[in-house]
Amino acid sequence: MGMTTATGNTGTTGSARDATAVAFSGVVKTYGEVRAVDGLDLTVRRGETVALLGRNGAGKSTTISMLLGLLPPTSGEVRLFGGTPERAVREGRIGAMLQDGRPIPRVTVRELVAFVAATYPKPMAVSEALALAGLETLAGQRVDKLSGGQTQRVRFAVALAGDPELVVLDEPTTALDVEGRRDFWRAMRACAGRGNTVVFSTHYLTEADENADRIVVVDRGRVVADGTGEAIKRTVGGALVSFDLADGPTDGLAELPGVTSLEIRGDRALLRSADSDATVLALARLGLVRGLQVAPASLEDAFLALTSSALEGAAAVGEGARR
Amino acid sequence: MIDYIRLEVRRTLRDKGFVIFGIGMPVVMYLLLTHIAGDSGKDADAWKVSAMVGMASYGALGAALGTGTGVAEDKKLGWLRQLRITPLSPARVVVGRGLSGSVTVLPAIAVVLLLGALVNDVQLSAGQWAGLVVLLWLGTAPFTLLGMGNGYRLSAQAAGMVNGGCMMVLAIIGGLWFPVAAFPGWLEKISRWTPSNRFAELGWSITAGHGPSAGTILVLAAWLAVFGAYAVYAYRRAARTA
Repeated sequence: MGMTTATGNTGTTGSARDATAVAFSGVVKTYGEVRAVDGLDLTVRRGETVALLGRNGAGKSTTISMLLGLLPPTSGEVRLFGGTPERAVREGRIGAMLQDGRPIPRVTVRELVAFVAATYPKPMAVSEALALAGLETLAGQRVDKLSGGQTQRVRFAVALAGDPELVVLDEPTTALDVEGRRDFWRAMRACAGRGNTVVFSTHYLTEADENADRIVVVDRGRVVADGTGEAIKRTVGGALVSFDLADGPTDGLAELPGVTSLEIRGDRALLRSADSDATVLALARLGLVRGLQVAPASLEDAFLALTSSALEGAAAVGEGARR
Repeated sequence: MIDYIRLEVRRTLRDKGFVIFGIGMPVVMYLLLTHIAGDSGKDADAWKVSAMVGMASYGALGAALGTGTGVAEDKKLGWLRQLRITPLSPARVVVGRGLSGSVTVLPAIAVVLLLGALVNDVQLSAGQWAGLVVLLWLGTAPFTLLGMGNGYRLSAQAAGMVNGGCMMVLAIIGGLWFPVAAFPGWLEKISRWTPSNRFAELGWSITAGHGPSAGTILVLAAWLAVFGAYAVYAYRRAARTA
């Protein structure tokens, strides 16, 4: 949230020196009664690699469709490089890999990539796009004869071919096996390494953590957390403290210093703590140290905590960003 | 846009189904229809000419409608959405697809006319041959638009069936397979107002040694407007939901 305000007040709309690539302000998209996107604010600066992380149905794809100008928002505003998404698309500043897109049959990889490249004003060399996507050896193959992983890399090459400033990838690895994923992300990082702004959506935590500079957690159409993987882990309480109860009392554990939540699992107490040092000291004073363990919160813990109670999550991140 | 047209033409010509059925069918039918009933006499010669025009028209009609089936497939694959996020404007995408469709009608026309000249010994002046190709080519425009309208509006499967159905009905009622003169009077009257009959009439008027009448051109122009409006409506609807 802090980041949003830091870059949101760019008065130099449309100027080449504007550092903002993407700006959503108060964007809402409703389908009848359903609010797929519910007041989304998001700013992406040039050169950033940002992951939109959320469960299925969190509003990621709708957000990306609006980002690309394929869907008009019900209310609010989407700006790309200071102008409308339609203008940015027309100027050839955007390349994208859509979620359910499949390449058209009866063309070769090179023909397809070359065709898309030629629609852009300043495309990269076709050979370069193919190399970035790891497709050099497949250039002459028909697109409809490729494996799932290869097809996905063709779609990635299509997104890159015009050398766009902003590359948008909607759940790029959903259908891929482990190896396909690894190859794909290697290609993506090579692209980001050229200074492109990249926005991708995923519901895989590790993909977001490993491949993005910044993770924006989306739930129920809103941003519930925004920061690096580390920052997001901190916002939900830094650590998980656990010990054997040995039939001891559980009263008062939730009120110990730093503890934000308590869970009893069999004979073990699990305390989520924002200040694990204080929690451990308090437990030691009570003599409750049998089998004591302190584990850092995983991103998964953070994600579950954030998305299970979206409103509380937003509050927690607000504090987290200020800290 | 030239690149887009080239890409789509290439894709169509690599489609075995298109080559076998789109070009092969009218060729086989032409040879069958002109040889089954015996191949001598004045009537047989006239039939070789009129069937040549009819089958060239039929092949062109099928290819033109087939463009729309291709559009529906592109829509299903998400390719139309992908094109919308390239700098190509929607108008150029639609016009480009229409133009590429109009190029893919040429092989069927050319092959049937060649067979007429080489196998069935149809003799026309150079001007008549050229006029035939040009008029049959231009005359496919209403059908390309009808096919594209179906393609934008319907699912890939439905578009394939509807376009196939349109092709059969238009070919038969239009008198492309059997001469209209053999129809009952009421059907013959209807046939004169169909786009497919007027389309083939462009060709028959050339082989008869005069040009198409103003009436023929007017009826075709009216169908062009109707199918054009339909295609625009279907595209707008597809763009909203795609």
